Amino acid sequence: MSIKGQAIWGFGAVAALAAVPLFLTQPYYLHTVIMILFYAFLASSWNIVGGFAGQLSLGHSAYAAIGGYTSTLLFIHTGLTPWVGMLVGGLIAAIIAVLVGMPTFRLRGAYYALATVAFAEGFRVILESTKHVGKWDTGGAEGLMVPLKGNMPSLMQFMGKAPYYYVILGMLVLVVLVSWYIDRSKLGYYLTALREDEEAAQALGSNTAIAKLQAAAISAFFTALGGTFYAQLVRFLEPPAIAGADLSSQMVLLAIVGGRGTVLGPVLGGVLLTTLGELTRAKLGGSLLGIHLILYGIGVMVAILYKPQGLIDPLMAGVRKLARVVNRSRAAAETGR
Amino acid sequence: MGLTNAVVNGILMGSVYALIALGLTLIFGIMKVVNFAHGALLMIAMYAAYFTWLLTKANPYLALVVVAPLMFAIGYLLQRYLIRPVFKAEADTREPISALLLTAGLMVTLENAALLVFGGDYLTAKTSMTGVTYHLGSVSVSAARLYAFLITFAAGGVFHLFLKHTETGRAMRAVGQDRSASSLMGINVYKIYDIAFGAGVALLGVAGVVLIPFYYAQPSVGQIFGTRAFITVVLGGLGSVPGALVGGLLIGVVESVAAQFMEATWTQVLINYGFLVFLFIKPSGLFGSPYDS
Repeated sequence: MSIKGQAIWGFGAVAALAAVPLFLTQPYYLHTVIMILFYAFLASSWNIVGGFAGQLSLGHSAYAAIGGYTSTLLFIHTGLTPWVGMLVGGLIAAIIAVLVGMPTFRLRGAYYALATVAFAEGFRVILESTKHVGKWDTGGAEGLMVPLKGNMPSLMQFMGKAPYYYVILGMLVLVVLVSWYIDRSKLGYYLTALREDEEAAQALGSNTAIAKLQAAAISAFFTALGGTFYAQLVRFLEPPAIAGADLSSQMVLLAIVGGRGTVLGPVLGGVLLTTLGELTRAKLGGSLLGIHLILYGIGVMVAILYKPQGLIDPLMAGVRKLARVVNRSRAAAETGR
Repeated sequence: MGLTNAVVNGILMGSVYALIALGLTLIFGIMKVVNFAHGALLMIAMYAAYFTWLLTKANPYLALVVVAPLMFAIGYLLQRYLIRPVFKAEADTREPISALLLTAGLMVTLENAALLVFGGDYLTAKTSMTGVTYHLGSVSVSAARLYAFLITFAAGGVFHLFLKHTETGRAMRAVGQDRSASSLMGINVYKIYDIAFGAGVALLGVAGVVLIPFYYAQPSVGQIFGTRAFITVVLGGLGSVPGALVGGLLIGVVESVAAQFMEATWTQVLINYGFLVFLFIKPSGLFGSPYDS
């Protein structure tokens, strides 16, 4: 598809999504849709290192926690608006992602995955067992409340759900645009090359370790932005929820089912699976803990067995086929006339 | 509790870490797959051990005869019907990432299925042995931990003999060294993978049985042991059997001794972050081949 074609499709999709709160006014449903976009955003952020660079991170919730805690602590103790705090959190997360990646990015295979697990688990324990950082109260295992100041757009606090919807939609569009840009940039080609054959890429003179670290930093930055958004939306940070293994696995599973290493795959996976998860939760009630994760886990296993490239591949093929059929019938109608 | 006591207790617990890591390193050494479901499968083994004990009310260690073969069968079938098809699809890749992702999906499924079926309660086998401690000079150890250590060592010894002296064991080592060459020598590589995965998971069965008298079964218990097993095998060198043993004991001792000086939760931070530093200094591990990293 040409860039112009992509732009038209993209613009149309965003316009359609932007119209959703006009029809969906019930807070409960709107909240569900916000969470769907939130997970699509997280899966897309993960995909930059997990998909494009092919470096399996299983500890991304740590970056979400860094984002959420940084902006919230700055907000509570210095009054800094989360709009700025989220950027600070993003930068800290990016630096830490580089530090975590450094020991392992010269190595291959599973070492990075193992390092991320060890890092994230340790980080969750730190959050749970630290009550104070200096004079700042971090809440420890009890969690941290985000104080409510009323309807203050300048502090990313809104009384209605619709503004949150537009914030997360904007963030999702941003991460998709960045992914799209990376996919076509020099970095994107480096990443594809090292994902396919690292030795060959090195032999051709690309510094694969630097490329991986860049991807990890960008990925962590966006994941941390998501953490701040979560903090502002839910107004409560609890270590097991924001820094736990479940959130980490969720990002991975959604991106894989959708199609890792593609621009739109993680969005598709995030939207499809989170919708499915929310529907089962609504139908079966809250008594069945973790049922959505069972579905995601099975979804991933089925996807890897039958559609290892993810669902985006057959979907795009279908779209292209449809476009061809439409074109042909239009052409036939014109010659017929 | 003195330092000697801490070291002794660390060794006892470390032997269980070593046994868990042994299964993981075996699977990696032969298949080059990091089994992310390892902790979750240990959790299954602990539940199996718990319910075997609950139903029979016999000595909890007798559950070995049920749980170890059961776990072997689970591992064998998982590899045969779930991992093998993925493996075949990327047969020429050196470290197949799809198989790794598959085990990660399996981990999430098993953990949450356990939460659904068993609930979040902490289950442990309370027997006449619970709370019994043996004393020798200044050292005191709980009976359950001592038995865990002895059984673990026996299992490790049996496993070592199996690897060294049986035809299947030799075939397994051959496949670990060179997949294509052993295939040319007439070894059915995929069959060996099935057995290796089954054996690695059977070792988890043993670990589950020895843990249940003094540890609790809970859906997310595998996360703690799983991460620790990953750290152990990398510390020892991925794929190295003596490495798993030394790594396990080392982590057990470090954890136990560190707990003398800090809160128990912080020992986990120390181990995890110490591991990251170690990875930076010597990624091939204590006993690993530098070519594997």
